[in-house]
Amino acid sequence: MPEPRDAEILFSAAQQVLETMFFTSILGEREAPPEEPTLGARASFHGAPSGTFGLRLSSGAARAMAGNFLGAEEERELTEAQVGEVVCEMTNMICGAVLSQVETESAFEIRLPELQPPGEGAEAGATVRSLDLDNGALTMFLSFDKA
Amino acid sequence: MGFRVLIVDDSPAMRSVIRRVILLSGFDLQECLEAGHGADACRLLRERAVDIILTDINMPVMNGEQFLASMRGDESLGAIPVVVISTDATQHRIRQMMDLGARGYVTKPFFPESLRAELERVLGVCHA
Repeated sequence: MPEPRDAEILFSAAQQVLETMFFTSILGEREAPPEEPTLGARASFHGAPSGTFGLRLSSGAARAMAGNFLGAEEERELTEAQVGEVVCEMTNMICGAVLSQVETESAFEIRLPELQPPGEGAEAGATVRSLDLDNGALTMFLSFDKA
Repeated sequence: MGFRVLIVDDSPAMRSVIRRVILLSGFDLQECLEAGHGADACRLLRERAVDIILTDINMPVMNGEQFLASMRGDESLGAIPVVVISTDATQHRIRQMMDLGARGYVTKPFFPESLRAELERVLGVCHA
């Protein structure tokens, strides 16, 4: 059962990471994930508790944020590989920010994030949060392994 | 005369961002070297001298914990200050890395000023 507190943590972690490292603002809540093409990544984490965090970005948002992150003069200069790498790094950072709020005393390990094929999304029972950004849309999902 | 910095991170994007942030922050940078993991960094450090190392924790081949332990066990490398840059902001992890010999810790995400401040604190840079 998704926890309201997890949804709040997802929001504050995304806000912290996107504003600081990707120069992107959250405009508000979205009712549903975007229907346009998306780029996604996920990472499993191990600690107390263990689980999975993932995100999907609209293609435009992924490219714009990769440009901001890498300081590219022109977004079109970026290769698909660079954009994918930045999406994985964003996944790592938001996941770390989430877990630092969830687990304040015990250490955790985040496995290296991997890009996900289009269409793959949240697992059943995951907490899902979709947000409108000033350059597109972001959907995040968080699930914890059952003890 | 600036400082020579080694960035150890498996993500080329993150290495590039850290390098850019250091430059933007106004830190006195002479040279910036890069390695993809701890073992790469150890090899590089046998050939090149640096003043400070910035390292990630989660990396393939040799992670940040193993890298710190390896440096501490090596007389020629043990004196180089290491600052950890990680997404893990838990007190447990920070204590663990400091116990392994890290001299500083910066949590991702970070502002350029906070990275510069930590680098200068560890290097003992004083501003008149």
